[in-house]
Amino acid sequence: MASREIGIVGLGQTKYSKKPNGTLIGYLAEAGRLALASAGMEKKDIDGLAISSFQLPPDNAVTLCDQFGLSVSWAWYFTAGGAGSLSSVLAAIQAIEAGQANAVLCIAGDLYDVNAHYKLMGNFNHALSNYAVPHGFGGPNGLFAIVTRKHMERYNTTREQLGRICIGQRASAMLNENALLRAPMTMDDYLNARMIADPLRLYDCVLPCIGAEAVLVTALDRVPKEKRVRVLSGYERHNHPPGEIAPLEGGWALFRDRLYADAGYGPKDMQFVQSYDDYPIMVAVQLEDLGFCAKGEIGPFLARHDMAWNGSFPVNTGGGQLSCGQTGAGGGMIGLWEAVCQLRGEAGARQIPSVSRGLVAGYGMVGYGHGLGASAVILEKAT
Amino acid sequence: MSAQPNYPQPYEDADNAPFLAAWHKGVLALQRCKGCGKAIYYPRPMCPHCWSADLEWFEASGKGTVVGHSLVWRPNHESFQPEVPVVLVEVALAEGPLMLSRVVGDDREKTRSGAAVRLVTMSDAARYPLPTFRLA
Repeated sequence: MASREIGIVGLGQTKYSKKPNGTLIGYLAEAGRLALASAGMEKKDIDGLAISSFQLPPDNAVTLCDQFGLSVSWAWYFTAGGAGSLSSVLAAIQAIEAGQANAVLCIAGDLYDVNAHYKLMGNFNHALSNYAVPHGFGGPNGLFAIVTRKHMERYNTTREQLGRICIGQRASAMLNENALLRAPMTMDDYLNARMIADPLRLYDCVLPCIGAEAVLVTALDRVPKEKRVRVLSGYERHNHPPGEIAPLEGGWALFRDRLYADAGYGPKDMQFVQSYDDYPIMVAVQLEDLGFCAKGEIGPFLARHDMAWNGSFPVNTGGGQLSCGQTGAGGGMIGLWEAVCQLRGEAGARQIPSVSRGLVAGYGMVGYGHGLGASAVILEKAT
Repeated sequence: MSAQPNYPQPYEDADNAPFLAAWHKGVLALQRCKGCGKAIYYPRPMCPHCWSADLEWFEASGKGTVVGHSLVWRPNHESFQPEVPVVLVEVALAEGPLMLSRVVGDDREKTRSGAAVRLVTMSDAARYPLPTFRLA
């Protein structure tokens, strides 16, 4: 694991909206500027750029340097969808440790309105385009409905149990001005919402939207203490298990022991979890794979916990993608942004009291049936 | 059967051309690795199990078992809208590989985990871009 003296010192987030108010490059630029400003650093300090965005091609990290007027010694462009933003931070830390850069701006986002969602999912990769799209697969909704039903059948997980994730996150979103969905949600609302892909209903699915996030990675001692967030450990694993269409596990289980051992903490020491929430079933699978409960026991675990920011087990304390919206690849950074915000004590009305440590998990890049990428980091407020 | 729907079509390439050509005749063709003997789906340029590039095509039985399914009420393309719910299935083919497919027919909503499925008849196959199933 990379040096603990390198970490996250700045964070930025644009306003979320259903329709764009500017270009993708404009949104990425704004998130980057905000992250730089929150660190109290300047453009001349940046010598590395990492970008996570589905819609950026034909542009890339190097052409963005031209747009931004940056000369950099290290540039990175993502590959693992919603797992990619955490990968960018891990890669940035390693690059800084290796002397390839001093300060890396990691930015993620897309102009991901509903039309852009359909366009992207219709041509996401060869396997999906050739062997799923011609079946009317319904996009990720159809695929994750299969995963959800399989978990319900194999482990007796119920919609009431999974719905507690969505309801807890909505309670947090009500205190987040940037969340697009802020109306109160009851269990009846959740259970009786419009059917999308049985067993998934409307509030199991994310609202595609416009926005971007950014974090600044550099040596922690370049900023005042209250701005420092240490990355205690982090790993990624892609395409585990290979060859399955709708597995009930992902790569997290393979690295979780190292993740906790490197950090020097266990699951019980985490004061929040920001988990990739394209669907509640994937939050459930991440919590199982990351050791918060045994495989198959997430249903009772959810039933006895409250997942709101002030609940017994805070999950996605800004509302997550399920309530804020999914900004394309930015969905892989919203949890990291929220975690850094909480650890700096900047979460306002939804600030978790006395919080010093938490886990962020990433997931994404839907291949032939499910998300292939998995990542996670453990963060701590530097003292 | 109504007129031919405007379904999105797969893109033919060097890896999948024999598979698509077989389906045009109502046949499910799979690859088999001559290195490790395993059957493969979806079409690959090399065996994902042992990385041998020595693959051969064979005609599969067209039989399988439902492993998972969803009832899609909001398909990804308007051509499917008159046919909702689209019953999307994960099928374990008799030859081993897993396949994402569709169960069609008036009784498709009776699809359950463990249900036996068979390919649609040759006369119906022309309607669908990819191998498609009915309840057995």
